Amino acid sequence: MKKLASGTVVLLGILGVALILFFWGVSVRNNIVVQDEGVSTAWSNVQTQYQRRADLIPNLVNTVKGYAKHEQETFTQVVEARTKATQVTVDPENLTPEKLQEFNAAQGELSQALGRLIAIQESYPDLKANEQFMELQAQLEGTENRINESRTKFNEAVQTYNQYIRQFPQNIVASICSFAKKDKFEASAAAQDAPVVNFNE
Amino acid sequence: MKHVSLIVFRTLTLLLTVFMSMPLVAETWTVETLPMVHLQDKHRYVCNPDGILSPEVVDSLDNMLFRVEQERGVQSVIVVVREIEGGDAYRFAVDLGNKYGVGLKSQRSGLVVVLATEDRAYFIATGNGLEGTLPDAICSRVEHQLMVPKFKEADWNAGIGDGVSALARYIEGDDTLIPEPQDDDDMAEGLFFLFLFCGIFLFSVVSAYLSVVHKCPRCGKRRLVLRKEEIVRVGGRAKLHRHWRCGKCGFEKDDYNDPPAGRGNSYGRSGVPFIFGTGSGSGWGGGSFGGGGFGGGSFGGGSFGGGGAGGHF
Repeated sequence: MKKLASGTVVLLGILGVALILFFWGVSVRNNIVVQDEGVSTAWSNVQTQYQRRADLIPNLVNTVKGYAKHEQETFTQVVEARTKATQVTVDPENLTPEKLQEFNAAQGELSQALGRLIAIQESYPDLKANEQFMELQAQLEGTENRINESRTKFNEAVQTYNQYIRQFPQNIVASICSFAKKDKFEASAAAQDAPVVNFNE
Repeated sequence: MKHVSLIVFRTLTLLLTVFMSMPLVAETWTVETLPMVHLQDKHRYVCNPDGILSPEVVDSLDNMLFRVEQERGVQSVIVVVREIEGGDAYRFAVDLGNKYGVGLKSQRSGLVVVLATEDRAYFIATGNGLEGTLPDAICSRVEHQLMVPKFKEADWNAGIGDGVSALARYIEGDDTLIPEPQDDDDMAEGLFFLFLFCGIFLFSVVSAYLSVVHKCPRCGKRRLVLRKEEIVRVGGRAKLHRHWRCGKCGFEKDDYNDPPAGRGNSYGRSGVPFIFGTGSGSGWGGGSFGGGGFGGGSFGGGSFGGGGAGGHF
């Protein structure tokens, strides 16, 4: 067998290292994709839960209307806030901080309007004792709980993703494949005033 | 000597009393510290570490919930304690459900009911797959009609008993819920035993082969095969006569040994390896997998996303 020239050996070595690096990069990139998908799924779940709340509102408004006809202003506010909130949807591929902020603000406004709607019951004892209203209230509370859980899960998914792509050496692959850091959900001032559901009869 | 045994007896009784009354010491339970009875005994679902519920109610609920799991594949955990950390029954129920994965993985159907009597808080948490069967409104209705009125009278037995029974009826009425035919854990267990059997089988075959086929002293090849094996009487004593023959060079050999203890005259069919002899199957046939031997239950991997209803009373 002919002896290989030393130049060829060096070339083969470089090629081998490059090949190893390439496969490592591919596997890191695949990991990033999996986590990116996780964030997308978590985000869709957040939107589903907010949509669920929006779907509850017409029923709730109608029930309250039957008992409290003079609260027209509150009804209008709720319906308007609902329309506005359902218009703001964010594509999981397009989760920019600005979009997230906008979504948060619209939903926060709806939360406030809902809080006022629920507070109406204090002035109408018949409404407060109405079984349908009580159940709608329970549904609303359950939906708020689901929203909170899904937001927590979303933030966890974002945190895992961010931690992964910002650590060395994955950050090199992330920057080559242009995977950027994502933003977490932060409670807006309005969203913190979720409807207060009072169980102390 | 009589007094010594009396002292021993008294000491034991005292120790027993101390141990039995220990769970009655008030404790603020966390999701981590709460003992999960289902993991010790798969027929039990009610965590009653403070002894608030009567044993009769616990028994009847356990029976009911076992049936629910068998028929509908819904796993439940009922927690009745004095105090929980933070006094938040919602947080406790959801965290507990998610920590242990209450509910089957396939349909994510778990149910966690928490009552903290000193915190005056309660919550019915439904797993993601149970939200359709038990919507929040139904949970709330059960709470307001059956549970809260009894809780206000401090009748915990009636409140929990009636409430959980009502939930069980809702679950049993839902035909879409199906028990998992083969749980993942059972599957793993089955595989384990399959491998164990295969291992035992292989081992028996190899050892039987080794006991039957030997090295030929003349040609050195491993072809010396046990051709005949019988119990013979030599001078009034039973001897084990074995006849060997080499398949390679035709070398033949006879030996006479004392028969192994415990093997009677029935032993002696020619060329039959002993491990396949009488009674070899009896050790395998009677085993039970899911039954009494493995008492602890397991949770399937359900998840809780905030469904359910609860409040304070």
